[in-house]
Amino acid sequence: MGDLFSAIWDVGTTETAYTAAARFAVVLAFAAAGEWVAERAGTLNISVEAMILGGAFAAAMGYHATGSVAVGLVLGAIAGAVVASVQAQMSHRLTADQFVVGLTLNILVLGIVGFLESEWKPSTRTASVVEVPLLVDIPLIGPALFGQPWPFYLIYLVVPLFAWLVHRTRWGLEVRSVGENPQAADVSGIDVNRRRRQSIYLGGLSAGLGGGYLLLGQVGRFDPGIVAGRGFIALVAVIFGGWTLRGAIFGCLLFGSVLSFRLTLPGLGYELNNEMLSSLPSLVTIAAMAVFAHAVRQPEALARPFIRGLK
Amino acid sequence: MGPPPAVCTRLLSKNFGAVAACDAVDIEIHRGEIHGILGENGAGKSTLMKMLIGLVVPDSGSILVDGSSVQIPDPVVAASLGIGMVHQHFSLVEALTVWENVALGDEGRLSRTAVRSAVGDLSERYGLHVDPDARVADLPVGLRQRVEIIKCLRREPSILIFDEPTSVLTPEESDELFRSLRGVVEQEGRSVALVSHKLTEMLEVTDRVTIMRNGTVVECCVTAETDAGALARAMVGRDVRLRSAEQAPPVPGGYGVRSGSAERPPVLEFRHVEVRESGGSMELDDLTFDLRAGEILGVAGVEGNGQRVIADLLSGLRSQSRGEIAVSGVTVDVSRHGATIEAGIAVIPEDRHDSGIVLEMTVAENLMLSDPSGLSSRGVIDRAGVDEMSRDLIDRFAIMCTGPDAPMWTLSGGNQQRVVLAREITAAPKVLVAAQPTRGLDVGAIEYVTDQLRQVAASGVGILLMSSELDEILELADRIVVIYRGRMTGEMTRSAASREKIGLLMGGDQL
Amino acid sequence: MISGLMVEAVGFEWTAVGEALLNGSVLKPGRWGGTIGVTIPLAMVAIGTIISTKAGLVNIGQEGQLVVGAAFATFASTRVPGPGPFVLLLILLAGVVGGSLWSGIAGGLRYWRKVPEVLTTLLLVAVASNLVGYGLKNPWLLLDPEAKVGNRNLVSEQLPPDTRMPRITLWGNEFPVSAFLAVALILLVGWMLNRTLWGYRLTVVGKNRRVAQRFGISESAQGMIAMLASGGFAGLAGALMLTGGDFANYRLVPGFSVNIGWIGLLVALVANNRASAVIPMAFVFAGLRTGSGFLASTGIERRVTDVVQGLMVLALLLPPAIMFIRERRRALASARSRV
Repeated sequence: MGDLFSAIWDVGTTETAYTAAARFAVVLAFAAAGEWVAERAGTLNISVEAMILGGAFAAAMGYHATGSVAVGLVLGAIAGAVVASVQAQMSHRLTADQFVVGLTLNILVLGIVGFLESEWKPSTRTASVVEVPLLVDIPLIGPALFGQPWPFYLIYLVVPLFAWLVHRTRWGLEVRSVGENPQAADVSGIDVNRRRRQSIYLGGLSAGLGGGYLLLGQVGRFDPGIVAGRGFIALVAVIFGGWTLRGAIFGCLLFGSVLSFRLTLPGLGYELNNEMLSSLPSLVTIAAMAVFAHAVRQPEALARPFIRGLK
Repeated sequence: MGPPPAVCTRLLSKNFGAVAACDAVDIEIHRGEIHGILGENGAGKSTLMKMLIGLVVPDSGSILVDGSSVQIPDPVVAASLGIGMVHQHFSLVEALTVWENVALGDEGRLSRTAVRSAVGDLSERYGLHVDPDARVADLPVGLRQRVEIIKCLRREPSILIFDEPTSVLTPEESDELFRSLRGVVEQEGRSVALVSHKLTEMLEVTDRVTIMRNGTVVECCVTAETDAGALARAMVGRDVRLRSAEQAPPVPGGYGVRSGSAERPPVLEFRHVEVRESGGSMELDDLTFDLRAGEILGVAGVEGNGQRVIADLLSGLRSQSRGEIAVSGVTVDVSRHGATIEAGIAVIPEDRHDSGIVLEMTVAENLMLSDPSGLSSRGVIDRAGVDEMSRDLIDRFAIMCTGPDAPMWTLSGGNQQRVVLAREITAAPKVLVAAQPTRGLDVGAIEYVTDQLRQVAASGVGILLMSSELDEILELADRIVVIYRGRMTGEMTRSAASREKIGLLMGGDQL
Repeated sequence: MISGLMVEAVGFEWTAVGEALLNGSVLKPGRWGGTIGVTIPLAMVAIGTIISTKAGLVNIGQEGQLVVGAAFATFASTRVPGPGPFVLLLILLAGVVGGSLWSGIAGGLRYWRKVPEVLTTLLLVAVASNLVGYGLKNPWLLLDPEAKVGNRNLVSEQLPPDTRMPRITLWGNEFPVSAFLAVALILLVGWMLNRTLWGYRLTVVGKNRRVAQRFGISESAQGMIAMLASGGFAGLAGALMLTGGDFANYRLVPGFSVNIGWIGLLVALVANNRASAVIPMAFVFAGLRTGSGFLASTGIERRVTDVVQGLMVLALLLPPAIMFIRERRRALASARSRV
């Protein structure tokens, strides 16, 4: 137990811990921000995992082909959107069960990517670090927030952008209404399913971008198992955050930190109970939900498909 | 030749499967008039309106706006043609604020200030005051309707369609609404289509009336030249015993039973019952009353003032924060599973889809609900027994369906209500709660339910009748209590009651 | 078609793929026995899922419940003395207990703290695999005391021959007798859901909670039972996988579940939650899995089966979706009631 406290102290005072935590959290944040939009519109999109994976692979291929990180990221976002289009079209045009579609996409994309990877074998490396002068010198958290490979900084654009989109624009108003009361939105002349599909595309773009970042900004080498459940954790973060963007990002930071301990603690000389650590995000979320679930409001129409004329 | 009608339809038809919801409908609504569309449920009025507003696409026929033929494939097009509807449900998003709801469906940049000032404008002009920043979820029903109206008026529609607007209003509020409608129509030359099944409303408010029955137009006349009897005949196709409080027919042997009921012991007692809402407001406030065997106690009040809560309490769906409920003198703990059923309380719920029937199950399975263990031995359901019981009830209550295995959703509303009645009445209860029992039913079904209720009361069951239809209460009840904001504002016997008195009490005046 | 394209990219005809799949799963002699072996746990997971779905619950944690069940089963196998058949029975029961326990946690959280079970069951999957991984590192839990440490051979003891599920050979195919148990259980559950008071009450709870509450049917009691049953079946599937012999050779190994939990869930969904469709659909998915073994011999990557599986499910989603819409339109037309 004393070990635990000194471990926490060490982690809290080591720069590398913060850096690793931030890196981990950002992948989650890209995916969670997009998923937040999709869930506000009413879709419980389990295929986030597939979106990140598709993005990571496309980014790998993009970099492999052109040597440019930017191209890789763009391709990653596009790939995420492609996966999103399957989810979107099947769930909100063909009225398939969004749940089954999501699950299946995870399997499907894993299969496709695994197959293509063994055939084409892309080779990549991480993007170089870009430091923001002055800010990077802030003790402890400076390098974590301002001394990362440049794709990292995109999150500072994405999160406020999404917040603005959903809360300040007409599009966002319509998206929110569609997730709360699609019948009312429909009667007001809004194309419910179209807004839902659009929100999923946005989610796909963001998650795909996150996948690109994961590959080119963090890990550096592609492997079909690269995502390792981050998509699910992002999903959990959205719910953990009570369907607010702030809450979701907080969740990403929390879970990202905990998961990154797996990497930092051994470096600090601590023996880990690996399994305990890996289960920590899940356990923490369960505990949090047990305490707070009754206080949280989900979008009324979450996971309920909309067909005109039905209640 | 005068100006063309604001909107008219020619041979407009719509079929849903084998059912003709609208069959070659011709209507004409002129500028500057309030035009009533009268009909029972299933007459086709809502489908007709939905076609005008773009929620339903007609199969054949044409719609003409100001004389030119148009297509209305969705609500956006309808709005651009100047047709707006004030909906009863499904048009406000609770989680959003008033101004956000009003802005929903607009085009262009979202501007909070612009929308808020527009709301303020309209509030002033039409006397419909409401706070633009309030969350709709926090607003009571009457105010929500105002938001609906503002939302509609904002588009400057030339034709406003109102769908059963007064079901959620007190008589005074209804009068106010109609006064502003009259103003809108006369001063601004718009047209109003008022869809309703209430004869008195039609007679008081409209200029002309179109009556529909079974999907077709039966008659169209000038209101001043007709009367309730003629309208009712047209609506139903036969002479109808109109709901008229003075003509309540004597129940054979029943009157004697009921008039002497004051000396009988109470079958249901509410003692200082209080129900507090999670937000802190009181839904039922120190409610005390009793119900005697064989008596029909009418609880009058506008929707949303506590009737639903009483029904939910007696259904075991909610529990009180204070006070006692007793059946035949024995206190009942409504929060315990199945306690209300054991105590002998039967309920015909206000919304049968919510807590009365299971649409996806069969008629037999629905009939079984009150006592499934009685029809099983050692955990296995006795199919033959269930079948027999179902056929018997289908027979006795004239439930029109293909048999005990018919899925509930294939039955019409009236027949679904018969299933509920059958089940609740045959459970031999001590207390029968009838919440808005004839809502949404056609005149024939209304007669049937009313008769059944009388018979049940005659057999010694205490009936708690909750209704926002004054006529229903005046016809059936022996005694009347009025509820407003969860409190009892008055109590009287039938003979001492009058529409005016009750109307005032419903609006909050105290006796 | 997409798989066809992918295969084209590697230069083979897709008919060869289809052929290989069929050969591997049923056509070649002795193959369908193996397919049956995979069908058994899939069907168990599926029928359990149907129970929880009928109660209106969303249980997506079968993968975790299965693994915990398998772990409990393994533990029992190494600790309980006694004659073979007796221990076998206990192993299966231990599996049920383990799975029920796991789903019971989610059920408890739902009914006591209102946490949606779709989330808890999902989260518990990760916790489950970590937990079992931990167990496999410790000899006093699950690890085979004789495992060669240097080899990183983190497996459990192999089941002694007398506690294994007996296998029979029918028409040249060998499969465990638990197949008959599985069929019997599915018939039993199907019957219970349709014909008993319990099944009736469960259905009411699933279709309309308010009606259930009105008539004194305890939503939490029924729901808890459904969750426990659902987890119990998943756990049983795990125990059957352990004792059946078609997986990991009678040992608990890391990654033991090989997605049987997820696929079983898919089977239930694709079977439209009808008990009668469980066995055929489970067989199809099992066939895909055993058939993919043959694919490797044609030179095509194993991953292709994942793709085929995925595409198949997506394609299968369409007809039910269309039927659903048609049925609801009919309902609207004939239900003239206004609410």
